[in-house]
Amino acid sequence: MIPPILKNLLRIKKFDISVSIILFITLVGIIGPFVYTVDPTALHAPPEVPPNNKYPLGTDSYGRDLLAQLLHGIRSSLYIGLTASLISLAIGVTIGAVAGFKGGITDDSLMLVTNVVYALPSIMLMMLIAAYLKERNPLFVALIIGLTSWPWVARAVRSQLMSLKSRDFLAISRMAALSDLKIMFEDLIPNMASYIFMAFVLLMSGAMIAEAGLSMIGLGVTRGVSLGIILYWAQLLESVRRGLWWWFIPPGACLVSLATSMLLLSTSLDEYFSPRLRGR
Amino acid sequence: MSPVLRFLIRRIGFFALTFVVFTLVIFTLPRAIPGNPLSTLLSQLFQQAQANPELIRAVYKRLMDEFGVGKPLHEQFLLFISRTLKGDLGTSIAFYPRKVADIVFAYLPWSLGLLIPAVLTSWIIGNMLGALAGYKRTTALDNAMLPAFLTLSQTPYYWLAMIFLYIFAVNLGWLPIGGAYSSGRIPKLTLDFIVDMLRHYVLPYLSILLSSMGGWAIGMRSMVIYELGSDYVDYADSLGLSDSKILRYVFKNSMLPQVTGLALNFGSILGGSLITELVFNYPGTGFLLFRAISTLDYPLIQGVFMLLISTLLLANLIVDFVYAYIDPRIRTGYIGE
Repeated sequence: MIPPILKNLLRIKKFDISVSIILFITLVGIIGPFVYTVDPTALHAPPEVPPNNKYPLGTDSYGRDLLAQLLHGIRSSLYIGLTASLISLAIGVTIGAVAGFKGGITDDSLMLVTNVVYALPSIMLMMLIAAYLKERNPLFVALIIGLTSWPWVARAVRSQLMSLKSRDFLAISRMAALSDLKIMFEDLIPNMASYIFMAFVLLMSGAMIAEAGLSMIGLGVTRGVSLGIILYWAQLLESVRRGLWWWFIPPGACLVSLATSMLLLSTSLDEYFSPRLRGR
Repeated sequence: MSPVLRFLIRRIGFFALTFVVFTLVIFTLPRAIPGNPLSTLLSQLFQQAQANPELIRAVYKRLMDEFGVGKPLHEQFLLFISRTLKGDLGTSIAFYPRKVADIVFAYLPWSLGLLIPAVLTSWIIGNMLGALAGYKRTTALDNAMLPAFLTLSQTPYYWLAMIFLYIFAVNLGWLPIGGAYSSGRIPKLTLDFIVDMLRHYVLPYLSILLSSMGGWAIGMRSMVIYELGSDYVDYADSLGLSDSKILRYVFKNSMLPQVTGLALNFGSILGGSLITELVFNYPGTGFLLFRAISTLDYPLIQGVFMLLISTLLLANLIVDFVYAYIDPRIRTGYIGE
């Protein structure tokens, strides 16, 4: 019933731990807002109350419920992370695959573009673009992150492809006169699936951290909550100097646990798919 | 031409191209995004014109001149490039009539003074700890270190900064709660002032050091593990070479990719440290950028990025020089890149 690959993966402790944490926080973000139906933007509660029975994570300086903010924040950070990583993945895999597959001048020019974008730090490109957008909804923020974070994926996919290209089964497909597209989708992409999935996981954790960074400098979503936006308000209203630890600790802790689990997940997959690393 | 020289010329050409592309991005963005905030800013300026007509008219004229409004696009771009190369980054709106370049240069030293020592020490310590963990893999030491590295590498600098600030400054009161020196003091080179400055330096420095260390350590650890499984290590082992000698070879070979990594990650570390400055009210470019963003001071925002990217490309070029010097493959012309 359970596919054998999953059975094998479940034997890896790192895999189990990381997947459990990711699933737990994701479920909290998806289901949480339905169970705990407090409006995260309502200013009803008394301000700056530490965690208690009525307000499980306390309230902020405007009297907003911080548990409600956290639940909605996780949800929108996950949404931004997922959308951004899919965009980066699409761009990165396409450019890397075409460059590696076609070779020659196509490869040279695509890699030149990739390397130029790679040399410019993505977080600064993001800030620069975001600064010119007056209204920033979660989709825009995801787009900005997605459009600037792909170069390393393109480079990695290309180098993977280069090594695949020298394998024998590809020569056979060529002899059978299969079209480039067919070879790409039937021979090459399936062989890189595990690798692409790992890239996706890392892109997603990177995108969520980037979202928080953008928000902190004042360029996050303009309406609504995200983990970064909670941290931004906490920073702006001096929560640290005023000792309101319940304001800035939970969103950061969620972000760090999610991102660390994703990194751990990708390492465990790496160890599983490249036996050379196993048991070392 | 010697291989090293050829390598360096290619890299300089590449960075020049990158710089031109970046100026193009900075030039295009305000002109390409429809309904961009610049026009909002101008209409706001008009509304305020009653209150302070003289100043507003001056700012407006400056903006129009600097953006070259009314001229064809290619002329605007040439104007922009030639002004940039002359070091003229325009005039700030929020700090009118101060020049952007002057303002940024006043803040930049604080950022670099924080960033450079933190990056270098974290790179050195991270690589050493990573090599140790890789060498001692599958022992208790590695099992304890690896999760710590993983977590640290995913911790935003500014969040660690908030926690440090909360514990060591707010709760324990050991260190000051922000700024680069106590307010009311005038920067001068006395022992008293330097001690005061260092006390303000400790927490921001440690936050950047610790959270950027994890990434180096992980990279070095896997590199060492990879090298330990290679043929030359087996060969050296079978020759009966001592462990410490083999480890020296392994360390040398693992260092090369880490030098490249230093160049590649400089930018993201810089980005993280800009935000860390905010947490500590540290008067660097991050602090300036935040002000520029919240006042929609576009010339200043552009200027900050222009200077940061220039600094960064310069740092990358320095790393390339170092790389050309230490990588024997470049010396002998074995690889071109």
